[in-house]
Amino acid sequence: MTPTRSRHGRRGILLIAGLTAGALALTGCTPEAESPTSAPEWELTAQTDAPSGDIDSFSWVSYGEPYSLDYAYAFDYADNQVLANVCESLLRLNPDYTLTPGLAESFENPTPTTWVYTIRDGVTFHDGTPLTAADVVASMSRHIDPAVGSSWFSVYQNVASIEQTGDREVTVTTTIPDTQFNQGMGGSAGVIESAATLAEKGADYGNSTGLVNCTGPFELTEWQSGESITLTRYDDYWDDSLKAKSGEVRFVFMGDATARVNALKSGDVDGGWMLPVDGIAQLQETSGEVSFGLSTAASNLIVSNLEGPLGDVRVRQALLMALDRDGILEAAAKGYGEVSNALTTESVWGGASDATRDAAFSDLEEYPYDVEAARKLVEEAGATGEKVVIATAPIGNDFTVISQATVAAAQSIGLEAEIKTVTPNAYTALFSDPSAREGVDLFYTVWYLSSPDPLEMYGVLRTGEFSNYGGWSDPEFDAIANEAVGIQDAEARAQKSSELQHIANEQLPWLPLFTGPTTVYQGERITGVAPSIAYLYFPWAATIGAR
Amino acid sequence: MAPGNATAQPSTVAVAAQAAASTGRAGGRFTAAGLRRVAGKLGGLLLTLFLASLLVFFSRFLVPGDPVRFLLRGRKPSEEAIAQVTAQFGLDLPPWQQYLNWVAGALHGDFGRSLQYRQDVSTVIGERLPVTLVLVVMAGLGIAIVGLTAGIVAALNRGKVLDRATLIGLTVLSAIPSFVGSIVLISVFAVQLGWFPTFGSGEGFVDTVYHLVLPSTALAIVFVVLVGKVTRTSMVEQLGREHVEVATSRGLKRGTVIRRHVFRNSLGPILTVSGVLVAGLLVASTIVEAAFGLAGIGSLLVQSVDRLDFPVVQAIVMLVVTAFVVVNAIIDILEPVIDPRSAAGDAAR
Repeated sequence: MTPTRSRHGRRGILLIAGLTAGALALTGCTPEAESPTSAPEWELTAQTDAPSGDIDSFSWVSYGEPYSLDYAYAFDYADNQVLANVCESLLRLNPDYTLTPGLAESFENPTPTTWVYTIRDGVTFHDGTPLTAADVVASMSRHIDPAVGSSWFSVYQNVASIEQTGDREVTVTTTIPDTQFNQGMGGSAGVIESAATLAEKGADYGNSTGLVNCTGPFELTEWQSGESITLTRYDDYWDDSLKAKSGEVRFVFMGDATARVNALKSGDVDGGWMLPVDGIAQLQETSGEVSFGLSTAASNLIVSNLEGPLGDVRVRQALLMALDRDGILEAAAKGYGEVSNALTTESVWGGASDATRDAAFSDLEEYPYDVEAARKLVEEAGATGEKVVIATAPIGNDFTVISQATVAAAQSIGLEAEIKTVTPNAYTALFSDPSAREGVDLFYTVWYLSSPDPLEMYGVLRTGEFSNYGGWSDPEFDAIANEAVGIQDAEARAQKSSELQHIANEQLPWLPLFTGPTTVYQGERITGVAPSIAYLYFPWAATIGAR
Repeated sequence: MAPGNATAQPSTVAVAAQAAASTGRAGGRFTAAGLRRVAGKLGGLLLTLFLASLLVFFSRFLVPGDPVRFLLRGRKPSEEAIAQVTAQFGLDLPPWQQYLNWVAGALHGDFGRSLQYRQDVSTVIGERLPVTLVLVVMAGLGIAIVGLTAGIVAALNRGKVLDRATLIGLTVLSAIPSFVGSIVLISVFAVQLGWFPTFGSGEGFVDTVYHLVLPSTALAIVFVVLVGKVTRTSMVEQLGREHVEVATSRGLKRGTVIRRHVFRNSLGPILTVSGVLVAGLLVASTIVEAAFGLAGIGSLLVQSVDRLDFPVVQAIVMLVVTAFVVVNAIIDILEPVIDPRSAAGDAAR
């Protein structure tokens, strides 16, 4: 069953899926290998072996079917891993999480509130028509049209106007200096579609009937609802360095983790992202290849109620100290990952100097596992005997492990604790509907970033932000974050983000648990993928060819 | 079958009834009583469908959660977007008006638009219906062949080892949940032996049938016991009847007696059970479809419930209810044709 996942906030994404999918026990397959007593060995790979040549076609499995391939609604693993190969954005988010020019050959920020994009010449849509500035204006304007109800509205929340200001020039004016707008142009928020296609397809644009017409290395040729999506190489693609090495990519959907692992093991499907953690060992025994790559996702517990015992920072700190995070990482993620004390991963700090990045992750409070000290903190805070409620849903093994571990941890330090189990869609509602969060103190999330900027994460924790679920408010934090949003220099901005990271680490509006790599499998027929969570926006399938 | 097309159903049933009537030698002739009976059945059928439509539509309002908020999937909406999108899907109207719109549309085969796919519900369902139909038909054939055979074999050998072995075998099979059966079948026949694909429904008819061998087997396993046991019980009862003994004593061949007297008279209960089976198969198909990654109605239903996609849920539930009610109405009408005694009241001589 495909669980719901959601993501939220000002460009933050919550990942439920991968894990979900990965979490079901693989019964009935080969006998479980003895569970390793030590963490498995894995290392990050930036790029798998280059292909020996082109391949006619390969297939790829996803945990779920896209809701929609309309870029305005695509903001989930299922949608974006397909769309990334078909539609391109003004900027390109590369596998190393850097932003480089995309459909905009250059951009300028002449005043703090204007972004000027020069549109690349010689680019054609899949129907052969040339890309123009008018297409850019039409595509971007949909995000601020309430009738569209774009999922990416938050990127555009400070946009005052989007205008064509020259033959190949588009200017976006914002109400306040907003560096984050441009950082979002490497994702779905920056996708450009033909204005004529948008007008022609209307309400069916992006569904399995209307399809899409973009500029990427692959063209969306067929979508059999519930069954498969087929992409075909676009021969007139503008960027020679990313010309597709496969004539065709066929996506199939399998909600069941066991089914996915079986299909990969038997060679029925050539590859897939987000491997079920229980299946990784089995897949490593095949003639294919499991790779681990850059991720921007962090697993956290969101504190959604500061009116209760968790309103006292000492109780939040105590709860984190009472969580055996090494044990949780082992049980929930089979050890693929690392315990983290920050809400971001180093991979989104590309704009910072090494010194700044190191500073951001050094001197963080580590909250070592210490139940005794934690219990004393709770006593100090006078919260002993008070109750916390942890919401969870039958979405995956990680949800079960983490909710139970949290209850046990809370009880071990003198709090009362109970689990509130809701349906997957009710769980999704926690992220968008304040009434759904009533009576819930904590819930689990895996939050990934869609732009190479830690401010995407910390901006969410400002007072009054949509995804600041606990209503946490720290005037000093707000002041630094608001200032940072307007700082154009990436290094100077990263220094501010480092300050924010340290405040969040001390105040714990969310409790950081662990981070884990992006996983990908390539069967014996194929190679060439860059293992990175950038697969959500970068045309990753173009580099895959024959092994 | 045209889902929700109320005008089509009576005709379907009437045709079936006529066909039945013209073949039936004993009952179901065009007598006033017979026609009244059929009309009564049809009235009941329409009433059932109407009540079901009320239940199916208004139960939506008992489910917590705003489908439009769900559509935003946790993203920060713009101020006016929620209102606009709500209006687009007609969710701003009072419930009774939404119901009338829905019924009016449904009578034309228009079930509105799917929220998750942003597409016409009829398109979404139409693309997935064939897989489920083929799956259910294949499973149904398997159940009929295996179940009837097992039941007949057991009945003819009642009390002997073969009878017990058959019963035990059926019971063991029925204890295997569809989901477990699916996993075992995949791991043995698809992964280890490689005889069948692990997932999907293939392209074209032959390939589809090939892809659906394992899923339909997994689906059939649970229900074989039902048909097998009912067949056995029913046959055993008939075998003990006087007229069978009379027929045998008159020197009629055993095969003829069993075919004409025993089996034919046993069909009533078997058909009744088959009607229940249709609903059971449709429900169980959700599990099997998920395990085999089939894009059928079952997996669509589960997913749509999960995603608060009410238009799709309502359409599928109405479809299943309609199928169930119509099949059972047909069986009711056919019963006297097959078994004259049920029309003539209790005529056990």
